[in-house]
Amino acid sequence: MRTNYRTNSGVRFRMLSDDQLQELFDGVLHVLEYIGLEVKHEHAREVLKAAGAWVDGDRVRLPSHMVKDALAKAPRSFTIFARDGNPEHDIHIGPGRSHFGPGPTCVNFIDIETMERRPYQLTDVPNVAKVVDSLPNIDFCESLGSVDNVPYDLSALYEFTEMFRNTTKPIVAWSFDYYDSNAIHRIAVEEAGGQDAFEKRPTYIHYCEPLSPLISTTDSLNKLVFAAEHRIPLIFTPCPLAGGTAPVTAAGTIIQAAAESWMGLTIAQNIQPGLPFIMGGVLSVMDMSDMILSYGAPELSLMMAGITELAHFAGLPLWQTGGCTDSKTFDEQAITEGSLSVLFSALTGGDLCHDVGYTESAMTGSVFQLAAMDEAIGYARRITRGIEVNEDTLAVDAIHRVGPNGHYLKDENTLRYYKSEYWLPNLIDRTSYEDWVLNGERSFKDRTNARVQNILAKHEQVPLKPETEKLIDKILAEGEEWVKQKED
Amino acid sequence: MSDILSTISTMVIEGNFVDMVDKTNAALEESLGAEDILNNGLMPGMDHVGVEFKAGNMFVPEVLRSAKAMQAAMDILRPILAETGVETAGKIVLGTVKGDFHDIGKNLVGMMCEGAGFEIIDLGKDIAPEAFVNAIKEHKPKILGMSAMLTTTMRTMERIIKALEEAGVRDTLKIMIGGAPVTLDFANKIGADGYAANAASAADMAKQFAG
Repeated sequence: MRTNYRTNSGVRFRMLSDDQLQELFDGVLHVLEYIGLEVKHEHAREVLKAAGAWVDGDRVRLPSHMVKDALAKAPRSFTIFARDGNPEHDIHIGPGRSHFGPGPTCVNFIDIETMERRPYQLTDVPNVAKVVDSLPNIDFCESLGSVDNVPYDLSALYEFTEMFRNTTKPIVAWSFDYYDSNAIHRIAVEEAGGQDAFEKRPTYIHYCEPLSPLISTTDSLNKLVFAAEHRIPLIFTPCPLAGGTAPVTAAGTIIQAAAESWMGLTIAQNIQPGLPFIMGGVLSVMDMSDMILSYGAPELSLMMAGITELAHFAGLPLWQTGGCTDSKTFDEQAITEGSLSVLFSALTGGDLCHDVGYTESAMTGSVFQLAAMDEAIGYARRITRGIEVNEDTLAVDAIHRVGPNGHYLKDENTLRYYKSEYWLPNLIDRTSYEDWVLNGERSFKDRTNARVQNILAKHEQVPLKPETEKLIDKILAEGEEWVKQKED
Repeated sequence: MSDILSTISTMVIEGNFVDMVDKTNAALEESLGAEDILNNGLMPGMDHVGVEFKAGNMFVPEVLRSAKAMQAAMDILRPILAETGVETAGKIVLGTVKGDFHDIGKNLVGMMCEGAGFEIIDLGKDIAPEAFVNAIKEHKPKILGMSAMLTTTMRTMERIIKALEEAGVRDTLKIMIGGAPVTLDFANKIGADGYAANAASAADMAKQFAG
């Protein structure tokens, strides 16, 4: 038997050395200790002050021991559960595990029937959720848009209800403020069977964004405090634009983003020690001719790799980004940018990779891009799974059996392993030219479209409990009333 | 359909070649005819496998396992069928042409065609034209399948067809060819009856030819 045998069972890369990561880490602590952030939330400032922060008006500086203490309290590994108990839909966050899903709040959507760009509608949410529910390499749900045709303040709430109905995969839920955060949580708790049951098996992650540079906004902290008090797993993710709202250098953008996220971490861990916390954010460059935040730039993948390594160095999971593009349409640019960032993200082992399916620099959501990227993710996952080496996979037995001049097609070893050794594509075409012609000369775009239509035609949702449906009706009616009163 | 026939179909689909011999003998003991077992037990199973393979739900190793299960039964049934004069799908002679040692594709064609109910006489690889001619004369197959993997060896197929013509047996059979550099144009040019791009379509073509 073998002892002390060392295994590298998958492909990962490592960009920065421990020394470089220590420098980034120290840079974050320096920003928090000597510069601080504007924390525009009285209760949050009080919590921080009581824990030892230096508070001067809105400006809050954190002694590094407070940050290290918060990092020590936050778990590196935890599970987000499928609402129906299907273990295949659970997400186990931990070292070496990459998960993928769409992003939130695009203004436009690529219409599923016409493939044309138009404003995002409520009826789009179930379609996105069904596609997410069915795609094998998409692990969590966001809706790829903000709903245009419901009252503005209720759009995140409406969106959540439609996602919750149509997929059992864990949801990452954004919201505007306290009101809709609370409404969303009531629905999730009802389905879970109470707050205690939810805390044991959380089914969604709460998403908030601080503002760059260096501001913890009131609404983002209202949401953060709510999530912390109710023990809802939390993403706190800034979106700095290198060269605009953050330093132009990758290292500088990484430490600023980390400082913005860790202010949230420190508040959250002081309210709810041990709260599952996922560090952000989305780091990319501001294009210096078109002034957009690029979702297809190599610098995005590079900076995301850097901040992923810093997060893991500090013991936190990271909210990765990939599968997105600046292209306006389903074309070569969309697939090139999306596929490369997916592979890069998978290689970093970034924990939850979002924005899969973003096009037009996050202005337009596309289930076609999402479905195409499902294929790229499958491809990337096969690569990161690596080569398994053991006595059976060495296959010396099989080589004995077949010998020179034979073939392996019928060998038991082939039957046993071909499914796990090979990745089986869904959209990629490997047929002969003749068969391709026979099948209608369909392009990758045609096949992607067909897959989306097929999923939508066949998907059967796992219904929510009747009492949850009742509560949703009640909450939406209350919400409509609340909006009316606000307007009066 | 009797239970035992549907069990045999399932065993073909699952590729259960281990129990197939016992089950086939049991069916014969239940006074089921060999032809009945073939047409209502084995073939529906293989047809299902063919459909699932084309749909991308089954893969080559599974199809070959099913073919192996079918063969296990056919080894028992074939002599009985011959005795009773029942026409089976027929014989196919296969070979990789002279100078070419790449035969994985040809082997795959053989196994797929076996799965479709054919009897395969596999001459092997590096087979000279006269060996093809002799085999055709001896076995009198319905179909000849030839393969070549190299642009340098594919021309040999033309020489083999000529040799068959000279021996006066060309018109007794259908000729199908395949291999990486081979195309439909090439097949037409050298006077073959068909070209198949892969093993599954070769089996389909063989069924058509045997019609």
